[in-house]
Amino acid sequence: MKTIKEINQKIKNGDALVLTAAEMTEYVKENGVETAAEEVDVVTTGTFGAMCSSGAFLNFGHSDPPIKMNRTFLNNVEAYSGLAAVDAYIGATQLNRNPQIGMDYGGAHLIEDLIKGKEIELVVEAYGTDCYPRKEIETIIDIDKLNHATMVNPRNCYQNYAVATNSTDETLYTYMGTLLPNYGNISYSSAGQLSPLLNDPYFETIGLGTRIFLCGGEGYVLGEGTQHATEGERVNDVPVSPSGTLMLMGDMKKMNSDFVRGATMQKYGPTLYIGAGIPIPILNQVIAKRTAISDEEITCRVFDYGIGRRNRPVLKETNYKELKTGKIEIDGMEIKTSPLSSYKKAVEVAEELKKWISSGKFFLTEPVNLIPSKGYTFNPLEIKKPSILIKNIESKPVIIAYPTEEISDVARKLVENNINHLPVVNNEGKLMGIVTSWDIANAIAKGKARLKDVMTKKVIIAREDEPVDVIARRIDKYEISGLPIVDKENKVKGMITAEDISRLIGETAENDNEVSL
Amino acid sequence: MRVWFKFSPDIVNKAIISDAMRKFNISFNILRADITPKGGKMLIEIDGEHVNESVEYIESRGIHVDPVKKVLKRDDEKCVDCGACVSLCPVKAICIEEDWSVGIDNDLCIGCGFCTGSCPMKAITIIE
Repeated sequence: MKTIKEINQKIKNGDALVLTAAEMTEYVKENGVETAAEEVDVVTTGTFGAMCSSGAFLNFGHSDPPIKMNRTFLNNVEAYSGLAAVDAYIGATQLNRNPQIGMDYGGAHLIEDLIKGKEIELVVEAYGTDCYPRKEIETIIDIDKLNHATMVNPRNCYQNYAVATNSTDETLYTYMGTLLPNYGNISYSSAGQLSPLLNDPYFETIGLGTRIFLCGGEGYVLGEGTQHATEGERVNDVPVSPSGTLMLMGDMKKMNSDFVRGATMQKYGPTLYIGAGIPIPILNQVIAKRTAISDEEITCRVFDYGIGRRNRPVLKETNYKELKTGKIEIDGMEIKTSPLSSYKKAVEVAEELKKWISSGKFFLTEPVNLIPSKGYTFNPLEIKKPSILIKNIESKPVIIAYPTEEISDVARKLVENNINHLPVVNNEGKLMGIVTSWDIANAIAKGKARLKDVMTKKVIIAREDEPVDVIARRIDKYEISGLPIVDKENKVKGMITAEDISRLIGETAENDNEVSL
Repeated sequence: MRVWFKFSPDIVNKAIISDAMRKFNISFNILRADITPKGGKMLIEIDGEHVNESVEYIESRGIHVDPVKKVLKRDDEKCVDCGACVSLCPVKAICIEEDWSVGIDNDLCIGCGFCTGSCPMKAITIIE
């Protein structure tokens, strides 16, 4: 049994034994828990990954005449300034207001540039008051000119995370990176055995006031992060799915851009890569044992991100040792894996923190309140009006065509029914293709006679049990105007068009008005 | 040897490739193919003792041959060695090394560009 005070004394005397969490795993294997608990004083953890829920409070100081900032833009990225006159919060995932730049330079990139000391364009709009008469500002600032640049991240260091793959036949662009079609790859994001909250799974040492490594500077734990959850299933004491989280803060003026980077997930948006390391004091054998956890002992779950719903199916349970081999097997398929977070940088974080402590530059703190280890669940947002499924929409009797039909007959069908899309089916009613009125016009112009020569064979479809919102997104994504609805056997049940969806949204809006009146 | 074949629609009926294979005893692997009514493009890996002769022969029969010279360039300042690109590479040209850094083998790269767009740090570019 040791106390934090005793450990700090050893750090001061320069004789504290500090190991990284990866080194601790080996140390315990060789020497046993008992010796480790006696000999080792601190275990340093580290992680370097995309943490979207990050941002910073900035204070600009007062101009003359003064202004009450109403809308604030830094290099064209909006910072929320619904605070006192010259405070703003810049969020990592905020897009650039210039649509040409959009995702390529957002809040996360701005934060990196501030930390690098770069000059930043500041544009402010205000409505003007008696005490703050000024209505606009256009100037150049840098981090040294700010009174405060305090990073405050509502949710960092997720304790374990989901592993992602994609069963559909289209490439998906997600916050877990690019997911290739038909289980083309797997993406995971955790430092595994080095990860802070996997080394203290019941939060026995971490709490409000714990001094940490944050982005190359000193930071502090403010408490549990948003979405903190404690009740999930555990294997080897460690949760198998995303669970505990931390809210962190640190002075951006003391950070180093080697350990914090603005990034863009393709077709998803900006995010901030954060390097965070938490020192774990080895107070007793239980804590020693927990910090000895290895990649192999940390279970995680592979989810199908091809399902655009809150509850995605679990395809497999695996662990970080397996994932780090570069491939895993699911249902007989060998799938390539790759990390989204950098293990190399995570090691650098843990090593750097170890160096700080070993050289007597960094002391441990006694937390004021430990992070809660029970009673927290991450509850879903229930929408009062449940999402409407495709099968709930009243659809007109389906009009279909057969591949052998003459173009002229198909043209007549389109005109008589006043429609633009016609699914093409075989004798069993199963979908084979689709034609639009434009395809028919095109066929006539080129003198083609048979429907099967002009129909589109690769059809974007809607399934009966899919929510309308998912279909609306699909219509947008593929820039199409309608898609056939099919059942599990691929039989055509109807058509849904962009018009149907906008009519539906119109109706819902009208109903809302009635209620509110 | 990795090359692009580019050809116009008027020669698609000729068995040029199989003629070349018989004549020069070379092996072919089609890595990418994009064939439209306006002509086609194929990315081919050719192996064998008489590769250069076979390429000359193929060119004489009307296929335009462009050797692939594209390589990946990594900006070491930007790259954080996350490895997001590794599982996207169709030819295993990118891997995670022993020391957890990301390694690129330009001899294997086919210049498909999957890694460039998906790199969170925009640290990879394709250069000729």
